[in-house]
Amino acid sequence: MTETAQLEDGRVIEYLPEMIGEGTMKEVYFTKDQESVLCFYKGDLNQTDPQRLRRLQQILTGFNPTLSAKKQGDYWSKLFCWPTGIIVKPRLGVMTPVYPSNYFFASGRWQGREKKGRWFVSPKLRNLLPVAEQGSWINYFKICIVLARAVRRLHAEGLAHSDLSDNNVLIDPVTGQALVIDIDSLVVPNLFSPDVDGTPGYIAPEVLATAGLRANDPHKKLADIRTDQHALAVLIYEYLLNRHPLRGPKVHSIHSAEEDEQLSLGEKALFIEHPQDSSNRPATGLSIPVTALGPTVTELCYKAFVKGLHSPYLRPAAYEWERGLIKTWNMLYPCPNPNCTHHWFVVILTEPIIKCPFCQTPVNTPIPLLMLRSEKRPGQWLRDGELVIYHGQSLFKWHVFDNIFPGPEVDREPQAYCSFHQNRWLLINQALTSLTSANGNRVDISKAVELKAGSQLRLSQESHGCIAEVSMLNYGR
Amino acid sequence: MSIRRLPVYLLLDCSSSMAGQAIEQVRQGIRALLDDLSTEPMAIETVYLSVITFHSTAQQVIPLTELMQFTEPLIQASGATSLGAALRLLKDCLEREVKKNTLEQKGDWKPLVFLMTDGMPTDAWEATADEIKQLKMLNLIAFAAGPGAEVKNLKRLTDIVLKSDDLSPGALKAFFKWMSQSIVRTGKSVQVMAQEASIDLPPPPPQIHIVP
Repeated sequence: MTETAQLEDGRVIEYLPEMIGEGTMKEVYFTKDQESVLCFYKGDLNQTDPQRLRRLQQILTGFNPTLSAKKQGDYWSKLFCWPTGIIVKPRLGVMTPVYPSNYFFASGRWQGREKKGRWFVSPKLRNLLPVAEQGSWINYFKICIVLARAVRRLHAEGLAHSDLSDNNVLIDPVTGQALVIDIDSLVVPNLFSPDVDGTPGYIAPEVLATAGLRANDPHKKLADIRTDQHALAVLIYEYLLNRHPLRGPKVHSIHSAEEDEQLSLGEKALFIEHPQDSSNRPATGLSIPVTALGPTVTELCYKAFVKGLHSPYLRPAAYEWERGLIKTWNMLYPCPNPNCTHHWFVVILTEPIIKCPFCQTPVNTPIPLLMLRSEKRPGQWLRDGELVIYHGQSLFKWHVFDNIFPGPEVDREPQAYCSFHQNRWLLINQALTSLTSANGNRVDISKAVELKAGSQLRLSQESHGCIAEVSMLNYGR
Repeated sequence: MSIRRLPVYLLLDCSSSMAGQAIEQVRQGIRALLDDLSTEPMAIETVYLSVITFHSTAQQVIPLTELMQFTEPLIQASGATSLGAALRLLKDCLEREVKKNTLEQKGDWKPLVFLMTDGMPTDAWEATADEIKQLKMLNLIAFAAGPGAEVKNLKRLTDIVLKSDDLSPGALKAFFKWMSQSIVRTGKSVQVMAQEASIDLPPPPPQIHIVP
C-alpha cells in the first residue's frame, strides 16, 4: 500500500504511508524506492509562511549549486543534501535524497541512526560509540575543511544556512566527510528572512542577545552570513578540540541557569581562551590549548571569538577558514607514538622542541621542512607557505604551482613523494616534467633527489612554478 | 567543563485505581520514554531522571540518575492517593538533588516535573501545592488521567494541566510519548528561553488536551 504525492514539476511520487520521523516543522516519509524522503510541512502554511513555496522555488533552481549545469555540481551534491523536488499535493513539502549510508552508524547501540555531529564532539557521547565509529583526528581536520568549503559555496551564492549546528551537519569521521542538511530553510538575503532561532550553542551572540525582542523590532538581529560565520567557527573549534569555545566557568547570573546561559553565549559571551581575559578559562586548565592548532588556525579563532565575537563584520569568512585549514594541513606530522590517541599533530615552528601535544611524545629525528617560494614579480621570490616532510608525504600540484588551489576541481594526482631511505631524505619524482635540483640538473620522472638542509629545488620551470628551500627541523637531536 | 544537567522528575500515581492495565501502561510508558530519549544525543548528555511514586505513602523509587545509568523501577498499584506526601517528597528531592546556580558554579537547568494522577488526593496536599506553585525554579506539568482526576486541584499546583477524558491505554501511551517530545524540545530550546517565559511544549496528541 502506497500513497501518492505530486511534485511541482508534474512528477507523481509513490511513498510509504508510515511516518518515519517528525520534527517541529515537518513530517517525514520514505518514497516507495526508499531513495528519497518526502517532508511535509506541518500546519497551515498559508497562515504561517505564505512565502514558503517561492522560497523553495528559488532554492531549487537559481541558488542551487548541485545542479549538473553548474560548475562542479556533482562535487557539491556530495556536501549538501539539497532538495530535489517541491511537493504540491496533497500538501506542500520537499523531496530530498536519503543521506548516503556512511552517515548512519554501522555498528554499536545506535546502529542505523544518523551521525549528527553532537555524537562526536561531546566526550561523554563519543565514549559511548564503538571505537571504529570514532574516527581519527586527521579526519576531523578533513571534515573542517569540507565544511568550510561547503559554507563558502553557500555564501558565494549569497545564501545563508541560518541554522548551522551539530544537528544540521552530519559528519562521518570514518572517512572524513561532512554533509550539510536542512537546506530548505536557507535564508535568501533581502528576499526571505530566517524562520528559525537557530540551535543553542551556535546562535551568534548578537542574535541571542536580541532574541527576546519582538519580530518587528529594528534592533532585533536575525541569522545571516555573519551568523553562519560564527556557527562555522564554533563547529570547527569543537571538531578539533572537543569543547565549546564560549562555555566556560564564568557565571553571569545566579538567578537561573537559563538567564546565565543567555548572557554567557549572548551579550556577555567571552572566549574561554581569550588571551587577555582569563575569567572564563576552565579552572582545571586546558590540556590542549588552541595554539596547538598552529598559528594560522589560532589567529582565525581569535578573529572569530575575540575580535569578531561581538563585531559580526570582523568574523573570518568561510573561505579564510578553508585556506587557513589547508595551510595548516601542510604542517601535520604523524606522531611517533603508535598508541597516541590522535596520531597526527600540527608542527609549530616556533616551539623549541617538536612534540605531540596530545601525548607529549617528542620527535627525536630531524624533520625536513620545505619553504615554498613563488615569483610574484620577476626576480622576486616570496614565501608562499611551508610543507612538513615525513616518510610517505606527497607533493601535489598545489605545492608545485602558486596559482593552483586545492579546491574541488583540483588534480589530486601526487606529483612526487618523500622517503627516508638509507639515512637520507629523498624526493622521488612521479610526474614533474621540469624538476631541477640545486646544481641545475633535471631530475627525471622516477628519479630521486636528496633533500639536504640549505638546498633549493625548482619544482617546475613552467610559469607559476615554485622553489622549495629545504631546512631541517630538530637538527642535531 | 561539565555540561549543565536537565533534571526530570516523574511523579506517578500508583494508587489501587491504577491497578491492572493502567499500571502496565505506565511501566511500558517509562520503557518507551527511555528508548526514545536514549536515541537523542542531547538527552543522553543532559537528561537526569528520577521517579517518585505515590499510593498510601510516597517514595523516590529512583533518585536523580543519568539517563544511560537509569534502570526501570518496579512499580505496583495499591492503596490510597497521597498526593500531599508526594509533593513534600518532591520538594525535598529538588532541594537535595538539583544543583543551584551560584557565583562559583553553573547550576542545573530548571527541572521539568511531570505529575500523572487518576484520582482525588486522600491526604492534605493544599499547603504544599501552594508552596510549589510559588517556586519559580521548576516547570511542572500535571496530567489528569481519566474522569477521576480533579483538574481544579491540579490547577492549584501549576498552570500547565493536561487532561484525557478516559484512562485508556492509548491515552497513557500518548502521554509518555508527548513527555519525551517535551523533554527533547525543552532540552534543545532551554537556552533561548526568555527568562520568565513559559516553556515551549509540543502540541499534545489528540486524546489529550490542554486545560486552559
